Amino acid sequence: MIRVVTLDPFDDKQLAKLNRTLYTAFGVGSEHSGSAEVPPGLGDPLDAEKLLDQVKGIRAYQDDKVLMLTARKLKERELPSGVAPTQGFARQGKDRAVITLQPHKDLEVGFKPVARHALHQLGHLWELHHCLDPRCSMYPPWTPSFSQGEPIFCTFCREKSEQKIRLAKS
Amino acid sequence: MPEGSASLQQLAVGDRVVYPNQGVCRVTAIDAKEVAGQKLVFVTMRREEDGAVVMVPQAKVVAIGVRKVAGPEDVKAVFAFLRSDSDKADLDWKQRARTNLDRMTQGGILGLAEVVKDLQVLSELRPLPTKERELYDNARHLLVSEVSAALGTAEVNAEDAIDIVLFPPGRERPKRTAAEFAREGEDDLGLEGDLLGLDGDLDLPSDEEPASESDEESSSEEGGEESEEKESSEESAPKKRGRPPKAKADAPAEGGEPAAPKKRGRPPKAKPPEAEGAEPAAPKKRGRPPKPKPPEVEGAAPAAPKKRGRPPKAKPAETED
Repeated sequence: MIRVVTLDPFDDKQLAKLNRTLYTAFGVGSEHSGSAEVPPGLGDPLDAEKLLDQVKGIRAYQDDKVLMLTARKLKERELPSGVAPTQGFARQGKDRAVITLQPHKDLEVGFKPVARHALHQLGHLWELHHCLDPRCSMYPPWTPSFSQGEPIFCTFCREKSEQKIRLAKS
Repeated sequence: MPEGSASLQQLAVGDRVVYPNQGVCRVTAIDAKEVAGQKLVFVTMRREEDGAVVMVPQAKVVAIGVRKVAGPEDVKAVFAFLRSDSDKADLDWKQRARTNLDRMTQGGILGLAEVVKDLQVLSELRPLPTKERELYDNARHLLVSEVSAALGTAEVNAEDAIDIVLFPPGRERPKRTAAEFAREGEDDLGLEGDLLGLDGDLDLPSDEEPASESDEESSSEEGGEESEEKESSEESAPKKRGRPPKAKADAPAEGGEPAAPKKRGRPPKAKPPEAEGAEPAAPKKRGRPPKPKPPEVEGAAPAAPKKRGRPPKAKPAETED
């Protein structure tokens, strides 16, 4: 089950549409499970890693994946090989991910790229790696063509995610 | 000998090692056990990813390719390699598969990086086949987990660090052509030799021969039936039918003329005339009683018209009359 938790106010219709997209992509149920508050002291560009650790008040079952949605900007990550633009963050194989609406104003305007980022981060939660296919949502998200694609997976990633979901079902 | 294996003699409990094709493991025990009367020292390793346990005799550790986890300096070398322009992927799939297998088992972290880089470069030329896509995913997974272990960061950060080098931000991957991969003194894809060989095999003779055989078969099958029909028709009423082209074609074949059928060059058609050299005996030898009968029936055509036709059709005709 995918649980979408909002950290800022969003339009319910757009959230329902996002849930439908996630359901289509993964084949598991997806619902809006309420909202949560951003912990104080995380700064304006939010530190995604700290955010995942510190957000409280989210209820989920063991195999559930929680996708947090915020309208605020996420801080870019300093990595050994450079700076990674961050529009979302998820730890491989864990149960929480966060994506931002930035640079789009609202979900309606930037629905496709945001949904694609959502698929990407949820894919990481199901242990998918980055993909070579530019049409796939697991393609590296900082590439120029990423935001222009559809929120879909390539065959390989789709099959792998299905396999992981099947194995994860308790 | 795989890189990093030289220091395995001082393996201790708690060390992190890399088991080829399995990933990062932690040594949980080194103890002696008696197996089949022999006392062996086993190294017990637990895979960090999922907790799977493997026991390896200490004497085999180096031979298997177990090595210590790479250090930050090795990771820097990996980034430098991934950043470099070593984009000469091998287009011979057999050679590539063999090389990649060696790299995966014996190549160390740099071997994993080479597999990832080569397959990524190859994917810029054409989509990877399923097996290589799986290999790419495995190599990437092992590389990410080892870089993550070496740098002490989360896997997602390790993967992003690798991909920032492979897919620089703001830049699209280049489209490649086969000419870029051509080595000196080789053809474009290295396939032309094979293709030419196939072409040679598939050249005119092979195209013609099977076709002629099939023609012969079909003509022999069809021709056999046709010839029998024609024979029967000739015997029964060759003049009455009055189809000049067919009669001319059949007449020389069945007329027993020795030269005409041979010129046509169709063995199945040529053979029946030889057998039909004794025309009166030929239809009996073929042993199809129903077909020789029609001439007899036709011979007594006015006497028994009911025998000719199909019973259901003939009866309504009678009733109509």
